Amino acid sequence: MFRIARTKTLESLAHQFVQRCAVSGTAKGKAKLKDGPKKRMKVSTKKGGKGAVDPDPSARPTSRQDQEKYKLYEQCINAPTPVRYLKPKDMKREAEREKLGLESKDRKREKEILKKGGRQAMGVPDEPLMMGTPGFDLISLGLVDADKIPKYELTVEDGRRLAKEYSRVLMRKHRARQAAETNLLRMKKEAIEALPEKLKQAALVPDLTPFPKERFMATLTPPIEGYIDKVKEAAMRSSGAQKIR
Amino acid sequence: MRRTLMSLPSRLLASARQFSTNSDKIVASVLFERLPVVVPKIDPVVYAFQEFSFRWQQQYSRRYPDEFLNKSNSRAQGEYQMEYVPAPRITEADKANDRKSLNRALDRRLYLLLYGKLHGSSDDKPVWHFPQKVYDTEDTLRKCAETALQSVLGDLSHTYFVGNAPMGHLVVQPAEKAPDHGYKQFFFKSQVIATNKFKIGKCQDFVWVTKDELLEFFPEQAEFFNKMIIS
Repeated sequence: MFRIARTKTLESLAHQFVQRCAVSGTAKGKAKLKDGPKKRMKVSTKKGGKGAVDPDPSARPTSRQDQEKYKLYEQCINAPTPVRYLKPKDMKREAEREKLGLESKDRKREKEILKKGGRQAMGVPDEPLMMGTPGFDLISLGLVDADKIPKYELTVEDGRRLAKEYSRVLMRKHRARQAAETNLLRMKKEAIEALPEKLKQAALVPDLTPFPKERFMATLTPPIEGYIDKVKEAAMRSSGAQKIR
Repeated sequence: MRRTLMSLPSRLLASARQFSTNSDKIVASVLFERLPVVVPKIDPVVYAFQEFSFRWQQQYSRRYPDEFLNKSNSRAQGEYQMEYVPAPRITEADKANDRKSLNRALDRRLYLLLYGKLHGSSDDKPVWHFPQKVYDTEDTLRKCAETALQSVLGDLSHTYFVGNAPMGHLVVQPAEKAPDHGYKQFFFKSQVIATNKFKIGKCQDFVWVTKDELLEFFPEQAEFFNKMIIS
């Protein structure tokens, strides 16, 4: 799919970006043409120049290596996406160019991808994906109820609807949490006010001792008893094997 | 003149009555909580949106060749082979509804309640209450609360008291039978650190309850506990 013809790519890019004067049919802005595309293709032309200039005794193997290198660069620079993203202005431009009979490389590639099966073939299925590492995904761990998940397709309207619901749920929770925390603070202040004088002064002293380091955060699954011993044993075994050498 | 003379003693009496109920007894009680061990459940709407947005972004992200991403190097080298079967989030204590074990509702907070006699009004009937102690002559109310918890647990190595100040107070009005037994109850927050089992002494019975079950135990003060305990 990616043919290595360096000079050709330069010309085709120039062909894409140059604007033809309506009357004479010649290029409109030669100054831009000189600097613009060349600047972008600096990487390949430089390497091409070096490869060509380099006087290697065994020409063929290095050129094959070079070929593979350039193939990799080409694949990275023109990496494909399953669905092509176009702004409305670009879409109109594409439609106009279709009418004129011109077709860009991106459009050609998009058609080929669609022929092969579209984004489904490239790894974005219609069915919901599994979130999380296999075996420990969120559904099988019990974090989500699989039946309560709403049904949706991969369209813009469904996405907007889901985003609205998501925002509503999270904002509701956030507001509830803020209100609860305000309540807590208020009750603490009232309690301190209700204390007699001496105890009030003692209660107002901030407690700056550090938190205990054994206070653990909540994890995904509960701790298994006796697991740390198994881990230590396995580590000892592997490190012991290394030492025997 | 007479009116003022008459009004003065009534005011004095009223203030005297206030003093007798308010400045009389201060009780420090402890809200001993076990923090959640496991992450809480995810709302299905939130999960759906996250999954949708992941797939939508996957649609438009570029696919790079594997050699470029160095996929072989990034794979973790298996230092030691271990089998890992994750423990279930719903334990047997959940299924058996065993209220005495700390392994119950792992994604919620659990609070300690004791069943026994209180110093207060009715000395003969045991009552569900928080671990508490009447304030005598210690330095601060927090130390009083610590001794209260110590008398129940034995030692305070696996507890952590949060801050010097109480987190709420209840004014318990005196009952009709015993007009002197009004007191102010101050709650102190303390948390369980790094342990699974406790030996609870000095009471007839104890339970570890979630917030909803706690509200069942105290129906009259439900509103107060709703505000004081978040979840």
